[in-house]
Parts: sequence; C-alpha cells; structure tokens
Amino acid sequence: MEFMGYRRPDGRVGVRNYLAIIPSVFCANTTVRRIAAAVPGAVALAHPVGCAQVGLDLELTARTLKAMACHPNVGAVLVVGLGCERFPSQELYEAVRANGKPCAHLSIQEEGGTTNTVARGIELAKGLKAQVDAMQRVPCDVSELIIATKCGGTDATSGLAANPAVGNMADRVVAEGGSAILSECNELLGTEDMLAKRAVSPEVAKKVYNAIYEIEDLLRNGRDTSLGEGRNELISPGNFAGGVSSVVEKALGGVHKSGTSPIVDVLQYATAPEKGKHGLFLMDYESHDGEVVTGMIGCGAQIVAFTTGRGNPTGHPLAPVIKVTGNYKTYAHMQENFDFDASGIIQKGESVEENGERLFDLVLRIANGQEKTTAEAIGGDELFCIGRRHGYHLPEEFRMDCGK
Amino acid sequence: MLRRSMMIFPEDSVAMVLEDAEKGDVIETPRGKVTLLQDVEFAHKVNVVPLKKGDKVIKYREEIGYMLEDAPVGTWIHNHNMGCDRGKV
Repeated sequence: MEFMGYRRPDGRVGVRNYLAIIPSVFCANTTVRRIAAAVPGAVALAHPVGCAQVGLDLELTARTLKAMACHPNVGAVLVVGLGCERFPSQELYEAVRANGKPCAHLSIQEEGGTTNTVARGIELAKGLKAQVDAMQRVPCDVSELIIATKCGGTDATSGLAANPAVGNMADRVVAEGGSAILSECNELLGTEDMLAKRAVSPEVAKKVYNAIYEIEDLLRNGRDTSLGEGRNELISPGNFAGGVSSVVEKALGGVHKSGTSPIVDVLQYATAPEKGKHGLFLMDYESHDGEVVTGMIGCGAQIVAFTTGRGNPTGHPLAPVIKVTGNYKTYAHMQENFDFDASGIIQKGESVEENGERLFDLVLRIANGQEKTTAEAIGGDELFCIGRRHGYHLPEEFRMDCGK
Repeated sequence: MLRRSMMIFPEDSVAMVLEDAEKGDVIETPRGKVTLLQDVEFAHKVNVVPLKKGDKVIKYREEIGYMLEDAPVGTWIHNHNMGCDRGKV
C-alpha cells in the first residue's frame, strides 16, 4: 500500500515539508521567531534549553535537536546559535549537513546582534524556502510510516473507545510493514506482564520490564510525604474526575492504544530504530505530553495519534497530531479540537474494527497531505518540548532485576 | 430509572455507568440488576459483587486496586474508597 510522501536524502520519508528554524540555545529564541514570522511557511522551534546543562540532560538536548533537524517531515533547516552556549550550534549544523538536507547556520555574536542576525536569517531562510517549495511528493510505501501513540487528558472512555480504535489502526499500520510507538512507561504500571509477553525475545522482554520498573523506582524514590495533598499522585485531577480511579486502571486502558502486535524493541528517547527494524516499539520515557511526543517524533514518527477523553488542543510544529476521543460529551463540547470521534463504540455499539479502519484511512489522508489535523489548522505547537534528566538517571547496575 | 452501563469482562467486579445517574437508578449487568447507592457520573464505576475491605477490584480482568472499606453492591467505586500502591512507597 502506498501514500504520497517526501523522500529525504537519508532514505526516510516525510509527510510534511517544513523549513525549520532551530535555535541551539534558548538565547536565540526571539531571533528565530522573528525570522520565521517573516518567511511564510517556516516553523520556529523555540525551546528553553541548550546551556547550563550537564551529562545526560545536555546529551538529551543535543540528541533531540539533532533528531528534530534531521526529521523527515523537515525539508530544510536554518540553525541559529548565540555563540557561547554549551550545545554548540556548529554541532547541530554539522549533524544536519551530514543528514544531507539543505541547511544554513548563523550565530548572533558573530553577526553582531539581533537585527543583523534577523536580516541575514530572513535572507537565508527565503533561499531555503525556495528549495523546500521545489520538493515534490512521490509514491512511498506505508511500511515507511511510524505512528506515535499517546493519551493526554485520559478519562474512563479512553480505555474503552479511543485507545482501542488507535490500537486497531496501529495494528493495520504494522500489518502493512510499518511501525508504531508506545511510551509513557510511568502510565504502564500494572501492564508489564502482558507487554513483556508480547516481546519478540527474552532480551526485549527484559528491556520492557526494566523500562517500567525503572520509572516505578524513580516514582517511589521521589515520593515525599511532606508535599501537599495530590502532589505525589501519578494521575491528574482530570483523570480522577473522568472516572479513572488508579494508575493501574489508567494503564490498563492506555495500553490498548498499542494494539496487539508483538513488541520488536525498546527505543531510547529520540533515537531511531535500528535500520530495517519495523513493527511496534516501546520508547523508554515518561508521560509529559510534550516531552514524550517530541521523543517519539525524534525516533522518526511522522504522525501522532493522540487520544483524549477530557479534551486537548495541543499540536507539534513538525508532525500532524490526530486527536481522537471516545467521549461523546467532550466531542460535542470541543469539536474544533478533534479529528476523530470514536464514541460510537460506547454510544452506538460500533465495532473497534470499523473505527480502526476509518482511523487508518484518516491517517493515510493526513500522510498524503490531503487533510490537515485540527491542531495544524489552529497552529498548535505546544508539544515540542525537549526531554530532561535532572541528574537522577539510574545507572544500569541499580536497575531492578525482576527475575522474570 | 434504568441507566445504560457496560461491563468490559464478565469476570470484572465493577461496571461502568454510561449516563449521569442518580441514587436509586438501576443498571442491568451480566451479574443481574444493580441499584445505585449514590449518584454516579458518566463513565464512573459501581461494583456488581459485594466487596469487603482489602478485596481486589477487578476491571479489564485485572486488579486496578483494592477496597479501603466494605462496599455493598451498587457502591460508587473511586479513589475515595479504592487504593492502589503502584508507584508509591
């Protein structure tokens, strides 16, 4: 099965064709925003990091920004640095150059201030935009698609309708030779045995257990009884109000969005799967909506399927985010923020299969560029957030050995 | 008044109420008719079997928590009367 996508120099396939203006450090955010505002169709990837970081935290920033710049939904890149940051803009620029797509690089300290950099940046960006506009969609196989799955603003309908519909769509993508990613390991507590059983090998099963138990260890260690009521809860007031009573109930509903395919590997944050490996992946990260979505896009996901029972308007600057709900009330109340209504599964006895098939068709129309998501239409970009590790990553030898 | 509801698996100990419902309303479940003992909002749950303090609460055929107090059939089951220790000390 084919769709029309953009074939990139690294061989991967994009469903969008952005000119990305990327700061290597937050100090360049205003400059980047001004350049993007002057070049219609350019997207600014402003962010709050890139300096005063160490160790894995800094590595995650570098890895994520490189993954965004090299992402197949991006046709060309302008990198803007300040000049003295911990994550050198030159390093980001070199990564994009090695990736093979058109790119350019500026540094505010070298250019002599904001005004000069913006003026030079607009000039460079216009040249890159002309190159991006000349790129054409070509027939690509569905096996090139990677779909990120995520729930945000879960209620008790999510586990019955929206997540099973997304899971069925994910199964269809995997059956076509494509891939899907499940993550949010802190919201998989209680599902580790069923997920490990779906692993393709004992090694992958162990990685699944480690990903879930490691985050559970962090949660236990981080629990502080001196904090105010609710500050240690894993789930949000909205989850509770929506009828979800425990993190395990949330997990048992959430895991449905992974469908039924075997788990072929566990991915690290914003790290592409091994070349040639396709299927369902688990990404080892927690559930901050922006950080986890950015991480899965960093793994190469071109499209995000995002379920929400409570309603959620967010989008990502580089990837279409398809909003799916199983709550008929929320759909009626916030229709402008939804792309797919799966509530018929609960309200009208519709099957998960027919909803999954319709959602799969929608994914293909969005991949083709025939349709935009509601989040794209309103310009949602909140989900671009870079993953953080504030020095409490557990070394391998401290990981719990579950003995399973 | 009869209200719509759903049990995901017949082995579960709770059913989801699929309309905003009031105390005294009734749902039909694979375990028989259940009269709601409190008001229950859309998508919230009630038990369809009697539960004692410490009993497991089963949904999706899995344990989602345990009872913090006794609950006769038809009790609204939520975080006020059900505990879960995962991710906690």
